[in-house]
Amino acid sequence: MSTLRASLKPFAFVAALGAMMVIQPAEVRAESVLRVAMTAGDIPDWTGQPDQGFEGYRFVGWSLYDALINWELSRSDREAPMTPGLAVKWGIDPKDNKRWVFELRKGVKFHDGCALDADLVVWNIQRLIDDKTPGFHPVHYARYRTRTVNIDHAEKIDPTTVAIYTKTPDSLTPYAMSMWYMISKCAAEKVNYDYAQYAKAPAGTGPYKFDRMVPRERLELTKNADYWDPRRVPKHDRLVLIPMPEATTRAAALLAGQIDFLEAPSPDTIPRLKSAGMNVVTLPYPHNWHYQLNFVEPPFNDVRVRRAANYALNRDEMVDMLGGVAQPGYAIYTPTAKLYGNPVKYLYDPKKATALLKEASCYPCAITLAISTSGSGQMQPLPMNELVKAQLEAAGFKVKLEVMDWNALLDVGIKGREKYPQYSGINISRATQDPGYGLLRFVTKQQWSPAGGNWGWYVSPEIEDLTKEAMATFDDEARDLLLTRIHEIASRDAVMLFVTHDLNPRALSPKLKGFVQAQSWFQDLTQIVVGN
Amino acid sequence: MWAYTARRILYAVPIAIGVTVICFGLVYLAPGDPVQMLLPPDASQADVEFLKKLYGFDQPIPIQYFKWLARAVTGDLGTSLQTSRPVLGEVSRALSNTVIISLGAVILAFSLAFVFGTTAAYFVGRPIDRVVTGISVIGVSVPNYWLGIVLIIVFSVELGVLPATGMGSNGSDDFTLTSWNQLKYAILPIITLSMVPLGIIMRSTRAAVAEVLAHDFVQTLRAKGLSELSVLRHAVRNALPQILAVMGLQFGYLVGGSILIETIFTWPGTGFLLSKAILTRDIPVLQGAILVLALCFVATNLVVDLLQTAVDPRIKRA
Amino acid sequence: MTDVTVGSNLGSNLLVDDAPALKVRGYWATVANRLRYDYVTLFFAAVIVLIVLAAMCAPLLAPFDPLKTSMVYRLKPVGFRNFLLGTDELGRDMLSRLIYGGRMSLLMGLVPVVTATILGGMLGVIAGFLGGRTNMLIMRTVDIFYAFPSVLLAVAISGTMGGGMANGLIALTLVFIPPLCRIAETATTQVRNLDFVEAARASGAPTWSIVVHHVLGNVLAPVFIYASSLISVAILLAAGLSFLGLGVEPPTPDWGLMLSTLRQAIYVQPYVCALPGVAIFITSLSFNLVSDGLRQAMDVRI
Repeated sequence: MSTLRASLKPFAFVAALGAMMVIQPAEVRAESVLRVAMTAGDIPDWTGQPDQGFEGYRFVGWSLYDALINWELSRSDREAPMTPGLAVKWGIDPKDNKRWVFELRKGVKFHDGCALDADLVVWNIQRLIDDKTPGFHPVHYARYRTRTVNIDHAEKIDPTTVAIYTKTPDSLTPYAMSMWYMISKCAAEKVNYDYAQYAKAPAGTGPYKFDRMVPRERLELTKNADYWDPRRVPKHDRLVLIPMPEATTRAAALLAGQIDFLEAPSPDTIPRLKSAGMNVVTLPYPHNWHYQLNFVEPPFNDVRVRRAANYALNRDEMVDMLGGVAQPGYAIYTPTAKLYGNPVKYLYDPKKATALLKEASCYPCAITLAISTSGSGQMQPLPMNELVKAQLEAAGFKVKLEVMDWNALLDVGIKGREKYPQYSGINISRATQDPGYGLLRFVTKQQWSPAGGNWGWYVSPEIEDLTKEAMATFDDEARDLLLTRIHEIASRDAVMLFVTHDLNPRALSPKLKGFVQAQSWFQDLTQIVVGN
Repeated sequence: MWAYTARRILYAVPIAIGVTVICFGLVYLAPGDPVQMLLPPDASQADVEFLKKLYGFDQPIPIQYFKWLARAVTGDLGTSLQTSRPVLGEVSRALSNTVIISLGAVILAFSLAFVFGTTAAYFVGRPIDRVVTGISVIGVSVPNYWLGIVLIIVFSVELGVLPATGMGSNGSDDFTLTSWNQLKYAILPIITLSMVPLGIIMRSTRAAVAEVLAHDFVQTLRAKGLSELSVLRHAVRNALPQILAVMGLQFGYLVGGSILIETIFTWPGTGFLLSKAILTRDIPVLQGAILVLALCFVATNLVVDLLQTAVDPRIKRA
Repeated sequence: MTDVTVGSNLGSNLLVDDAPALKVRGYWATVANRLRYDYVTLFFAAVIVLIVLAAMCAPLLAPFDPLKTSMVYRLKPVGFRNFLLGTDELGRDMLSRLIYGGRMSLLMGLVPVVTATILGGMLGVIAGFLGGRTNMLIMRTVDIFYAFPSVLLAVAISGTMGGGMANGLIALTLVFIPPLCRIAETATTQVRNLDFVEAARASGAPTWSIVVHHVLGNVLAPVFIYASSLISVAILLAAGLSFLGLGVEPPTPDWGLMLSTLRQAIYVQPYVCALPGVAIFITSLSFNLVSDGLRQAMDVRI
């Protein structure tokens, strides 16, 4: 090879590249496409109960499927309530408080033509609780376990009525049914209940149909023009879901025009996004970013120390650091939540905190907190924990942060204080969308880890009584009063170190119109119009 | 020659077996239960045990190893815990994506390195030589993950001429080298990845060519009246096997070590797959991906060794 | 001069030139002489000394406490008030964190290489000296680890062990033992076969003294040079591990970790965010150039 030819090589390469730039096939897209970047690390499972946390439900679950009870996501001004989905009416049997009767919607068809009837609904319920049912899948079973644990079985009464039996009286059962998706039995049967095959052609009743998927890269759904609720037929033709776990990558993609809708922009990218003309929207929703505490080992077994920690936090400073994408958190629920009530508010008072610590003879008070580097709903864990540590130490705590990855933290979370007594607290963000999942599992004895979410083994006789009563109270209003009382007691006992609530930020390209953000973990994308 | 080849290939077998042992065993260094990621945060211990049994994680480790090995030999690397899809399919798809940018990086690096390295060797000791040596040292000293971020900011966000992330506007399935619209997604990853190979190949080229040029036979060629260009051509031809060997090894190294760049550019290759598998503790994918990558590296090394020996029998490993 | 690929390309096993560098009287004088006029190497050696000194005297040099956060002074630009190099995402002084970060980076770079040199070197010398079965056993095991590209092995080991500084050090040490072992073994094998070693054996000198007086002296140089060239790789790899979240834990200042956490702020203060990368680059570059210079001066062929 001569040097001349050798030295020409790079020029040839560049020339070839230049030629390619000229040959640009015109890509004509007649259909309107909404491209969404999710924080999830991978495409959520679309064969039934999704994974990747609530983001899986938000973008994949509710797009492809419906549940018996859906959520009403069309308004921003109040916390999103439940609403009839595939069931038009439901209620407790007055003669048997473990039996619920659901009246199904008539005339609903799945994406593959399968008809919705009682048999199909019963099958969908049984497949998540009974391992003898064809279509039982251990992963789906495990995933939804916390909400199926009290469901005994389902029965068909007539083609449009189903009865669901619980093991113990549980007035919160509708919440369990509000995320329990109905998948097409016809489609599952056709592939012999092999979910890997079903994944190639899934069928639900939702506003979007499955079109194609590139593993780990994108999921493409098309609009279901025959959706049973004409108000929610999507106003765009195609929905593309792309997992992008890195916040800077998401921001860069939105700025470069590669996506239109971005989940959870990091606070530092927001000014840049705004200055480039993007719409950044925020709204309260049932989320909290707190610490669950250890009630057995000192020092948090002393209520004075717990209160001291709460008084030591300057929550406004935290909100400032987060650039306004969060609001101060003083209780388990957000102030606009239905069950908020009138809890005690631990307003910033470092002197009081120090006084309490001295009173409890814990000064300086050494604590170890388990935290993660990332995770669903964890927001910006590192800077936030640093700030909490600084604020606690200013009041007289000595804080050690034990940093681990999300999986390791989940392990600590599941096994609880029994297996990890060295931690005084754990920083896990929680969804508080339904009362059982959002409140009771942190404060009741039955939920002591590893059986449930009560990580630190908190127990209060008052709350135990109120819980029993609430479970057996089937009048929604009366029950909610009891639950509110429980919420207030939990705050009084400083059952967590309350820090902040995320404000659910999203960034939208100016091309998008019509999006109404709901006060919920779920959102309705169908109303978005993609302009030019 | 054939005896040597046979010996080398045979020798690779125990290596491969050793690799499988390490791949399999690595995963058990991890804390936490393998099925933890499949369950919601507050699942009970009973549920964890139930799932473990279902997936066979409760059996003793040596038994798990042999079962895994037996299936792996037939091409079945198991199914992903997260997606329930066959691991081999995912890994091979990811591998082909990684090969695209690795090959592109090595070709780009080689093109530049060849020109500059040869020039530097010819003018050894003079300023151009120093400049080239300087560039090559810079190439291997720059943290390329940092460079990737800088390039994204400059070319994607500020100038808007190149995309920041992903592989093709419709995903990797539609990616093709013949359309600029798709190809442009590969430009920044390739440039970033080519930094280290550029430095190394440039240095090797310069060294190899310079060494040949210093040999006596070159004086002889000159004395015989050959033009400088011809002399250079001879020198390069002699040095080429060595340079190509380095290029091959760099390619193998890039394929196995692209995790940082792929994370930054969200390029769906094996590195990206691996980092996700580590995050989600998707053990079958972890074992399968590491295994495939390591075996590819072994194969690349083997091929490079054999080719070199074929061209220049003086170079032999015991 | 054969300048064979070292450094990042740990897969290279190319040995073209057989003659090891033999110690002769005045050798070190020759080396010193060569170095005296190698301005580039001297300059960057001074840079290394500066970096090491700065890291060691960090408490004296750093203008602020590297761990002190301040929400008011978050993400300030270079030269803002007293913050010579600006502040990071938690309001901590960048200059102080960079100085302290040098400790971590140097630690994560030097400790694995030193440990691997000792362990790998010993293994290699034993393998080379004893030959036969032992040699085969040791070298084949080493070859298995050689089958993994270094980044892959480092990430796989520390990733599956859960990250953290200790696991990172272990992972990096394991990554560097194979190449050092191989260098040591090759050098030992060559020396072992030389006449003067035979002569020493024949004269009845104990094995121990043969090893120390004749073998080690000639093996140390190539091993040392190779190890020094690995330092820059170790620094880059360690920072890479921290970047992926697999290395040091926050809030410890560490250049790789700083690069990663500052990524979020790249739209707010791009120059400040680029600083840790510059620090890694300069350190890695210095070690590379000095290692090259030493190799040239000591006339070692690897």
